[in-house]
Amino acid sequence: MSVKVEVSHDGVPHNTVMMKNGILALFFLYIAIAAASVAGDGSWSYPAIACVSGGIAAVFTLRWGNSTIKKLCSYGIGTGVPSAGMLAFGSGVIAMLFATKVNPFLVPIAGLLVALIVGLILGWISNSVLNMKIPVMTRSIAELAAVGCLTLMGLTAVATGDIGYDQITTGLTDPYASYISAGIIAVAFILGAIALQHPFNACLGPGEKQDRTDLLAIECGFLSMIVMAVISFAFVSQIAAWISFVIALIGWFVTYRQFFALSKRDAAAWLDAKPFSDAEE
Amino acid sequence: MQEIIIGIGVTAFAGALAAMAGAAEDTESNIGSQGDPNSQVQLAPQMGYTHRIYNKAVSGEPPAYTLWVTLACGIAWAFTMLHVNAMLAIIFGTVLATFVQGIYATTAYLGRTASLSKFGQPVFIDVLKSVTTVTMAHAFVAILTTVAACYLMSTMLQHPFALPLLGIVWGLALGAAGSATGNPYYGKERQYQNQKFGAGVPISASGNIVRYAEAGQRSSIDNGFFTAKFGGPASGLCFGLIVFLELWRTVLFEHSLDNWGAVGWGAVIVGALIIVLFMIIDRYVEIWARTNYGPYTAEA
Amino acid sequence: MSAIAAKPGAAAGAFQPVASLIAIFFAIIFIGTAYWLLGSFGCLAVEALIGIIIGAALIAFGVHFVPVGGAPAAMGQSPGIATGVAMLATGAGLAGLFGGAWAAHIGLWVALAGGAIGGGLMMAITCLMVNISYVYGMGIPAASGKVEKDPITGDSQPEYKSQGTEGHGLPFISYVGGVFGGLLGGLGGTLIYIELLNFYNVILLPTSEGTNALAVGLAGIFAIGMFLVIAVLSAYNITGTIEGPHDPKFKRFPRAIVAAICASGICGLVALLVVAIF
Repeated sequence: MSVKVEVSHDGVPHNTVMMKNGILALFFLYIAIAAASVAGDGSWSYPAIACVSGGIAAVFTLRWGNSTIKKLCSYGIGTGVPSAGMLAFGSGVIAMLFATKVNPFLVPIAGLLVALIVGLILGWISNSVLNMKIPVMTRSIAELAAVGCLTLMGLTAVATGDIGYDQITTGLTDPYASYISAGIIAVAFILGAIALQHPFNACLGPGEKQDRTDLLAIECGFLSMIVMAVISFAFVSQIAAWISFVIALIGWFVTYRQFFALSKRDAAAWLDAKPFSDAEE
Repeated sequence: MQEIIIGIGVTAFAGALAAMAGAAEDTESNIGSQGDPNSQVQLAPQMGYTHRIYNKAVSGEPPAYTLWVTLACGIAWAFTMLHVNAMLAIIFGTVLATFVQGIYATTAYLGRTASLSKFGQPVFIDVLKSVTTVTMAHAFVAILTTVAACYLMSTMLQHPFALPLLGIVWGLALGAAGSATGNPYYGKERQYQNQKFGAGVPISASGNIVRYAEAGQRSSIDNGFFTAKFGGPASGLCFGLIVFLELWRTVLFEHSLDNWGAVGWGAVIVGALIIVLFMIIDRYVEIWARTNYGPYTAEA
Repeated sequence: MSAIAAKPGAAAGAFQPVASLIAIFFAIIFIGTAYWLLGSFGCLAVEALIGIIIGAALIAFGVHFVPVGGAPAAMGQSPGIATGVAMLATGAGLAGLFGGAWAAHIGLWVALAGGAIGGGLMMAITCLMVNISYVYGMGIPAASGKVEKDPITGDSQPEYKSQGTEGHGLPFISYVGGVFGGLLGGLGGTLIYIELLNFYNVILLPTSEGTNALAVGLAGIFAIGMFLVIAVLSAYNITGTIEGPHDPKFKRFPRAIVAAICASGICGLVALLVVAIF
């Protein structure tokens, strides 16, 4: 017996959510790149800006991805919501690493384009070759690949303070200790994949509300940023890492409390140490 | 020779750690109600059965455990880079991963339950407080042991993968083994304890999960008491065997056929023999069940 | 995997000849692009990309063997393993990748065999524990819901099916299917990893240690990412649950193989370009 997927009617249409958050994410990624390009040796202020704006870019991208997942999964894709997150990041990580090779100021745009191309092909395969016949499939998987790519860029910026290929492939002390060769990209990969699918998966049901799900996406983004900020102590100066850690912690705490409030608003009842009363008794 | 002796010790220890991890993982996921059986917890209010069971719909167990273990591995690596002692670094990583697990658990419970408001399912704050902490405790054990096993593979056995990549591999395997072995025992045997023993749950009974304990109303912690007696150890055995045999066949037999010109094939042949052995055991179990339980007879 | 298991609206139809031909055509274009873009490394790139595509096709084929029952299996309502198909197949494949990567320095064939055995071993133990849990934990014998007789052992199935269910546990055919799926998954995953690793090792010029940590890191994360993409696409093809090689849904595998060829073509092309372009 399966549970029917029901979604609320959105107050804000998906296209608006996508444009707004996509543009904001790109904007913050560019701030991160600009800050990284002017950062000199030993300074902490520019790396701190790069780390924090990378994290904020990841948060905005996750809001976009959350809206896409909701649109796609409301059709019932045969397997769970989490698989969509895995697909997004499996294709996103390839596009993201490809994009890091180009001129720093083209990285986010190049990543977006490559991810959209890879995603379009994957979406077309699912829809036509696998014959899933879901109207939004092609577009949604393309969007998800782009979301995966941009989220990884954001989380990479939080950890290393930069998105360039050279920065993420050379370590501080020995060659075994770079972002890629130490496998930290795997942490960003799975962190983003769960953070992308969690908000809709956790809030699905007949009483799902767009603002609550959206808030959870922001909360997941800041939670991921906390983890990457802790890891960033190994890559960036201590002060910069502390700044992004504290900002992530504050952002997470505020949204987490807000999420409790919204859940209380939507719940049927909010009981503490009280039994349920059975209608049949 | 020295290398092999150390290797055998590490293999045995990693296998033991994995067994603990599997047992703790299954108990954790049953207390929190994660994975496939959770579909019934989600379904029950829609069929009119309000309950006090947790609803930890983070994702399936494999992706969730991939996240916790990879996270702990990544943070442990970052702390070793900061010249923190490796043991301490693993514990720091595990603590932070457990924190993330707890946050995801609470948001999943609140989100799912609030979205069930239409069916009158309330949010129980006392359940949130008591169950989340218990799942976090079990998750801590599962993550710590798995990360320690990954660390041993990376440093003592010189596996080429970096620590977080090993975390992805073994976190996913842990979740897959734990959910495969443990889910039916929680789903069929505990949630539907009121149904007939020795038979599957009829599809018509879906959603009618047991909601009362020996005294009072059942919360998810009561499910942990139950599944820890069989589902947990079975999952532990499963994951422990996987890790142990995977390492054992390589450490001990990789170069056993080198003198015959088949460099490295020893581990492959031993692995194939183990697979055949397990196949025979499985066939024995299947026949044993068929002869001892017999076919189902039509209801009178 | 999760509570969502709603069936897709469209009935999953038959093989799509036109779309499949276009997909294969795309894959050939990707291989040609690799040759054209990579100049002096063209032949090496084509070889690597073909290896990746074969690996992906093996994974897609292997996923169809893995008996997964999803949520109903957790209640003993349908046969198979009670978890998500994409994740279980990936778990087995990555366990194989672990063994394969460990043996990569010895040689290609040993590593491939080691990867396959690693995946098969993981599934052999998991499937055995599933049956032990059903038989000794819950007193339920294994029964298939899709066939009258087990194609391997010839055991009759319907009378061992309890009332109101579609079967439960893992009949021997499902067990063998699970092991075979694990073997193919481990083999395919290791093949993708080794092709990428060899290519990166040539381009990046390894350090004196023999294996370049950067090449291992890149090849590892790409192999895992590609494995997930192929496994999820194959899971879409079988819409979540399958009993094993005797299930009627198994006949859908050609679609998944075509999909895997095309998907791994584009993913592999971009993955090769990461180190080789600019």
